[in-house]
Amino acid sequence: MLSLKHSIRIALGSIGSAKMRSALTTLGIIIGIAAVIANVSLGASFSQYFTEEIGSVGNNFIIIQSKTSNLLHDNELELVKSTPGITGVSPVSQQVAEVKYLSTTRQISVQGVNEDYEEVANIRMESGSFLTDKDKYVAVLGHDVAYEKFGRTISEKNTVQMTFVKANGETVTQNFKVKGIIASPETSFVQSGIESDVRIFIPISTMNEIMGEDYYWGFFAAAENMESISDVTDEVDSRLARNLGVPARDIDNEDAKPYSLLNQEEILEQVDQMSAALSSLLTAVALISLIVGSIGIMNIMLVTVTERTSEIGIMKSLGYKNKEVLTMFIVESMVVGLIGGIFGTALGVLGAYAVVSAMGMPHVFPLNMIFIGVFVSIIVGLVAGVYPANKAAKMNPVDALRHE
Amino acid sequence: MVGKDLDRSVAEGNDIVIDICDLRKSYRLGDIEVPILHGIDLCVKKGEFVAIMGPSGSGKSTLMNMIGCLDRPTSGKVVLMGKDTLAISDNELAELRGFEIGFVFQSFNLIPRLSAYENVLLPTYSNSRKGHNSPQRAKDLLKLVGLDDRMDHRPTELSGGQRQRVAIARSLINEPSLILADEPTGNLDSKTSEEILGIFSELHRNGCTIVMITHDPEMEKYVDRVVHIKDGYIKNN
Ligand SMILES: Nc1ncnc2c1ncn2[C@@H]1O[C@H](COP(=O)(O)OP(=O)(O)O)[C@@H](O)[C@H]1O
Ligand SMILES: [Mg+2]
Repeated sequence: MLSLKHSIRIALGSIGSAKMRSALTTLGIIIGIAAVIANVSLGASFSQYFTEEIGSVGNNFIIIQSKTSNLLHDNELELVKSTPGITGVSPVSQQVAEVKYLSTTRQISVQGVNEDYEEVANIRMESGSFLTDKDKYVAVLGHDVAYEKFGRTISEKNTVQMTFVKANGETVTQNFKVKGIIASPETSFVQSGIESDVRIFIPISTMNEIMGEDYYWGFFAAAENMESISDVTDEVDSRLARNLGVPARDIDNEDAKPYSLLNQEEILEQVDQMSAALSSLLTAVALISLIVGSIGIMNIMLVTVTERTSEIGIMKSLGYKNKEVLTMFIVESMVVGLIGGIFGTALGVLGAYAVVSAMGMPHVFPLNMIFIGVFVSIIVGLVAGVYPANKAAKMNPVDALRHE
Repeated sequence: MVGKDLDRSVAEGNDIVIDICDLRKSYRLGDIEVPILHGIDLCVKKGEFVAIMGPSGSGKSTLMNMIGCLDRPTSGKVVLMGKDTLAISDNELAELRGFEIGFVFQSFNLIPRLSAYENVLLPTYSNSRKGHNSPQRAKDLLKLVGLDDRMDHRPTELSGGQRQRVAIARSLINEPSLILADEPTGNLDSKTSEEILGIFSELHRNGCTIVMITHDPEMEKYVDRVVHIKDGYIKNN
């Protein structure tokens, strides 16, 4: 019986005897496999990248935003804070203030928060420390504010002057002592409105006092862990709804509620969905190119079978069985696929590596893609080879021998 | 040593290698059945060297293909080494070809990609006799036909006579009971033909059963018997 070893030897001889043609044939598979591998591994890299980005915004965060003014007060803050599974919550309000340091004046977004914010928003200090609830006229500066915005470095213990415009048009000017500088986050892709680099943080109580207000624009809360975040969010939602008089039937109707809720898990899910959708679209395109590649192999195998008709006759006259002729050509087709698969996988891996490196994203390479890539290419070769090989196997020996 | 292997066939019990009875073959051309062989009877004994002669188109190759199990008769009986070839499957026919029949063709029928040595060894990838050291045997056979210094040459690097020697070596690799040669010297000049016929004659002396189609009247001095075919009939028997 014809062994696999000998089939492969015969196949390699045949492939080697028409190098240019074989190279062009495998090119179809190379491109297809490379495209699939690159897409899947790029998808994995993107996904990991976004997950890391979103993770840097906060720890298991839940964002509650009011849609109208004068909605969220201390009452609601307590309600959120006392929800089981919540480890911290900071009210958040924002004003654009005219900030003056020495002789330079800049428009800067000032964020009113409490001491929980440091933990909830994953703030890391470069120098000094973050706000506490005992602070009054102190400020914590974002990295860019401290080093770039004013053309000179503002340090801890310097004083900046801020001018706020109240709702009634009155202006209030107040000096703030700098308590600390926030370290620049490593990643800064996600625009969530909480970008700390270009902001100044002051105590929310101070901000509300200056503005003459007693409500908050939103809460930034943290759940204990990722597993419970969805349940905790639901609980916060129902507590707020009850407290703010939202009818029970509207609890799942985002448009009917005067506030909105968003948590880290939902954002991650959205990102995952997006990258999965993108990945599967690209993979579908890549699969089509694989099909085209496999048709290419089938085509060339048909040509090979026709060209080698007399050879098939010779093999049969020497005692080769139909099944062995079939095996011989299928193996040849699979070897073509395999060669394409090896080069295609290598190209796909290198391509994805290059793209990911150029974009500064993490290298995530699912190792099993190598095996899947090679395996798929062999299967593609197998499928492409069945029809031509069957044609060869069924040839009548005498007719095949008479073929010129 | 190869010759000694071949003696085996003479010593064995059944003396009839080919037994053909009322063999008919016709080809379909469109709707018409074209009869080529009209009832051939032929018997070849072990160790015989039989020449088949006849004009071109008389059906010699067709008959040879039936004997060689490359094609099936339309009707009649072909018994090889006691086996009724009509009663066995395609796989068994292939095995019979692989083990018991060695072909030598006019056009050599070597695989151009393979070296002389690989061509000789090629049949053993599919069928090889137990206890044979096929690679060694391939080398010995190439030596026997005088090609010990051409083993790694491809067919294109060999002369016609050398190619036919490779084909003869290949036909002997599995120690067949029967060698079928279809005009083996048809593409060769007379001097080379003489040498090739010498090899067959030598094989015959060592006990090989050979059926050879030939046009060469010179052959009559080498063979035991000449069978004349004309228009699908055997003229003498
Ligand atoms: N496969 C085939 N189909 C149709 N006709 C064939 C086939 N093979 C042989 N023939 C015809 O059969 C006749 C005998 O051919 P062949 O046996 O090759 O003659 P030769 O005695 O020259 O070897 C020729 O007329 C040939 O055309
Ligand atoms: Mg002929």
